[in-house]
Amino acid sequence: MTMISLSFTLLFILATMIISFWQKLGLEKEIAIGTIRSALQLLFIGYVLQYIFQTNNIWFLLVIITIMIAVASWNAAKRGKGMRGIIWRIAFSITAMEIVMMAVLLGLHLIQPTPQYIIPLSGMTVGSAMIVAGLFVNQLKREVISSKGEIEALLSLGATAGQALHEVRKRAVKFSMIPTIDGMKTVGLVQLPGMMTGMIVAGAEPVEAVRYQILIVFSFTGSAAITSILLSALCYKLVFTEFLQLKTFNESR
Amino acid sequence: MLELQQLAVRAHHPEPSKSPYTFCDINKTIEQAERIALIGASGQGKSTLLRTISLLNMPDEGDMMFDGAAFREMGPRNWRKQICYVAQQAIMLPGCVEDNLTVSSRLHGRSFDRKLAEELLQTAGLSGLDLNKNARDLSGGEMQRVALIRALLLRPKVLLLDEITASLDTVNTKAVEQLLATWHANEGTTMLWVTHELEQVTRTCERVWFMAGNTIMEDSPPAAFFAMPLTAAGQIFIGHHVQEEVQP
Repeated sequence: MTMISLSFTLLFILATMIISFWQKLGLEKEIAIGTIRSALQLLFIGYVLQYIFQTNNIWFLLVIITIMIAVASWNAAKRGKGMRGIIWRIAFSITAMEIVMMAVLLGLHLIQPTPQYIIPLSGMTVGSAMIVAGLFVNQLKREVISSKGEIEALLSLGATAGQALHEVRKRAVKFSMIPTIDGMKTVGLVQLPGMMTGMIVAGAEPVEAVRYQILIVFSFTGSAAITSILLSALCYKLVFTEFLQLKTFNESR
Repeated sequence: MLELQQLAVRAHHPEPSKSPYTFCDINKTIEQAERIALIGASGQGKSTLLRTISLLNMPDEGDMMFDGAAFREMGPRNWRKQICYVAQQAIMLPGCVEDNLTVSSRLHGRSFDRKLAEELLQTAGLSGLDLNKNARDLSGGEMQRVALIRALLLRPKVLLLDEITASLDTVNTKAVEQLLATWHANEGTTMLWVTHELEQVTRTCERVWFMAGNTIMEDSPPAAFFAMPLTAAGQIFIGHHVQEEVQP
């Protein structure tokens, strides 16, 4: 696709902005910023990836993955206001997930050990883990607010932090995995995933594209489970004070 | 047995030094097997005091000692195993009635005393209750009694009862009072009981703490307190209650 033909896609944005202006939705500024940001970010990463693929240097690969994990952790940690040190726990969970995923994928020769495979797959699994981590932390806080009576009833009977939060943790882990599991059930029927669509558009055989997509879907499920369970084990104590009292959180979306 | 020394809790305020006291200057000693009623107008911090003694809230000032050990030394778990809080709103844990009754034995790795549980259910007027029933399907009165029995099965040395009969009818209230009287006679458990029913105080307790002005203003036997409160606040409080009872 040439740059000129790509620029024609701006017509979609223009139409959206006209509708926003006409309907007084007040979204023009947001759309303009979003358009510029997404275009610049994607073009930038495109050139970076091209450079890394050509040089094939493992250090570049590690830097890229580290940045991905850092941004994902920072973003997910925004959901955990009031929980000190949550960002490090999220970063640890996502890193552990990334190591396990790559060990399996590379160890079993499911993908080739080149940046071309490792970076996109890492991006997708880290992105998915970020959503799972954000959902988990958000839901944990909500559950702590809504199940205060249940948790305090257990604390009153001399429960440890782990015992008092066992059910709440289970519910938060389950909740954080719902989008991944639902996506797995409906993939191909409701939506054709971006990567598969991209491969097909770029000229790959649909069946070959599907094979990689199955790999992605299964990786997502594994990464969601690893991230959520690890994170729940690492951060449940953060909802308690030193004297095993529930901290007060504000309801947030 | 249980000592409260200069105990104080402040209400939440962005600037801690500006926070008003919910209660302060609580200096009391409770002996084993004493039954104390904690009374006073709403908003005096009675529930907060109970929650603080059970360590569900943290005291901002002062100390608490149980059998000579400060709460900071004992740690919250050991403290709460001895000093158990029962909330006004009975909360059932997920699962059936039996799951709720066996919870303290599961938490502490002890064997479940089924015989004792059955006796307590019978005394509380719950002998016909299906133990496999989902606990959250029970009526309010049944839940409150199950929550109380759940706490008794922990066998704490001190029970902190927060208006546990407030939402019960007369029959259920009497059943709970009977259950606690029997338990007290057998086990000698200390009880600190927040209640708004003044008749209940004379029926169930040997000592009254009257809270007003953000502290415990009077500490006397029920007969003496109801005959002649020592403070003006106490007299006004009794006066209001008498008026409420006279008016239809």
